[in-house]
Amino acid sequence: MRSLLASVRFAIVAAAQNFTRNLGVSMAGVFTMGLIMLLVGVTLLLTHTVDQVLARQESQADVINVYLKDSVSMRTIADYEERLRQDPRVAGVSFISKDEAVIIAEQEGEGFMQSAISTVGSNPLPASLKLQARSLQGLTQLNRIVKTYPITDTSTGHQTSYNPNVIPTLQAVIFWTEVVGWSLSALLAVISLVIIMNTIRTAVYIRRTEIEIMKLVGAGDWFVRWPFILEGMFGGILAAAFGTVIVGFTYNFVLEQANAHVFLGVTADGPFLTALIVVLVAVGAGLGGVGSFLGVRRFLHV
Amino acid sequence: MSLAAILPPPPAVRPVPGLRPVISFHGVSKTYPNGTQAIRDLDLAIYHGDFCFVVGASGSGKTTLVRLLIREEVATTGRIFIDGQETTRMPRRRLPKLRRKFGIVFQDYKLLPRLTVAQNVAFALRVTRPGQRHLREKVEETLWIVGLEDKLNKFPDELSGGEQQRVAIARALVHRPRIFLADEPTGNLDPDTSWGIVQLLLQINHRGTTVVMATHNREIVDLCRRRVIAIENGRVVRDEAEGAYLREGEATI
Ligand SMILES: Nc1ncnc2c1ncn2[C@@H]1O[C@H](COP(=O)(O)OP(=O)(O)O)[C@@H](O)[C@H]1O
Ligand SMILES: [Mg+2]
Repeated sequence: MRSLLASVRFAIVAAAQNFTRNLGVSMAGVFTMGLIMLLVGVTLLLTHTVDQVLARQESQADVINVYLKDSVSMRTIADYEERLRQDPRVAGVSFISKDEAVIIAEQEGEGFMQSAISTVGSNPLPASLKLQARSLQGLTQLNRIVKTYPITDTSTGHQTSYNPNVIPTLQAVIFWTEVVGWSLSALLAVISLVIIMNTIRTAVYIRRTEIEIMKLVGAGDWFVRWPFILEGMFGGILAAAFGTVIVGFTYNFVLEQANAHVFLGVTADGPFLTALIVVLVAVGAGLGGVGSFLGVRRFLHV
Repeated sequence: MSLAAILPPPPAVRPVPGLRPVISFHGVSKTYPNGTQAIRDLDLAIYHGDFCFVVGASGSGKTTLVRLLIREEVATTGRIFIDGQETTRMPRRRLPKLRRKFGIVFQDYKLLPRLTVAQNVAFALRVTRPGQRHLREKVEETLWIVGLEDKLNKFPDELSGGEQQRVAIARALVHRPRIFLADEPTGNLDPDTSWGIVQLLLQINHRGTTVVMATHNREIVDLCRRRVIAIENGRVVRDEAEGAYLREGEATI
């Protein structure tokens, strides 16, 4: 116990000395690795945000809007609405009036709607029945049925918002966004390992006499390694902290600004950001430790 | 033609019956990766409590011999035993324990310039026996043995060469090794200071530690009349119980 405490103390003191004795190189390493962590953070947040936007689209993909003729009476619409509600394939139906359609369009970022209406003098958007299916298969069948309803507007060519390709396309986009995001992060992690190894090379060089003596008098390999590993972990944590602080602020700021201008349907995901920071700091410590371990093996042969 | 070829074969130092050598080499050769054969088919036995000089010209293989002893280099062929344990095929994880049997000093003292005399000596214990009790007493006692009890808080660059070598000796001695190795410990020192260092090594030997000193300092070897192992081109050419640097009657080269 006493011996363990003394070993830990020795490793911590030596790691701190390593770090401060070549402060310039240490800080350069931390800064470079911090930039990499920043890039990893940006990549992962972008991936996450794209996923979120697309997932929202996907969740709406089992919904179709059935566009209605302007001439149909509310009564007739209510009849058909009721008939659809009885259908076992239907999860829900709601009516969206022409006025509501304008509000929704504006929310979704088509800010010119109101002015368009005042120029044209009338509301060009149709009323619709918003139809939610229980399954995608049911959706396809329902789409075929509602197209034959007399209330459905046939003048424009697309009677409903149904798009059979949207789901596979979205899933592919989500998949590839994730593949690219994670590959890029992995590549950046490997680059940071190389940077750490080179920082440790300097630290090893500075401590070479000390290491030589340690080996000569019979210090164990781990006794020699730990100070460098701790130094690497400390540097990695600093780098991750530096990188994620910048990423975090940027993320919140950018999403705020973006939402002020276009409707993304997503706001800053606080829990995800917190998890990301925790994970990146842990990854930074891990990369720092592993990088140092590899560096020590390479340049010290212990 | 080498001296070994001209002169009659050396009288071997007789093995002590029933006593196991502390150090023994059996047909040991060392060829460096670049092809240099530094040690060739060398046999050697050193007993507990011996004091022996390893002499030979520069490049004859003295340092390689020392490095083989502490397994800093691995023998290319042959077997080396330390305390009855074969070290030639010893796994890496057991090397620290092997090295703690030795105390070792070099021509350059290898002191840590940022540490004081006492800290330099304590360093050896702190990295091999962390948390050791009575560290300060042990360090002070060892520095007293080498005659530096009044220099505890000096830094290496405030000391003379001889004093620095004494600090190195104290560091090698602080864990009470069984075998003390000195590779040209007086190589950088003037004759008087050198003599003081050798006196100290004799004193250490007198307390029961086996001492092996590689040197090409002729005066010292001749004055001491101790065991002399002469090597040339990596071979033992002479091994005498009370020898001189050169063979009796041999001309100075
Ligand atoms: N690391 C090495 N690599 C290659 N050759 C070496 C190495 N160390 C020593 N030698 C060679 O081995 C021979 C013996 O060297 P060494 O043991 O240092 O002799 P000494 O200590 O007696 O001067 C010399 O020829 C030297 O050049
Ligand atoms: Mg030498």
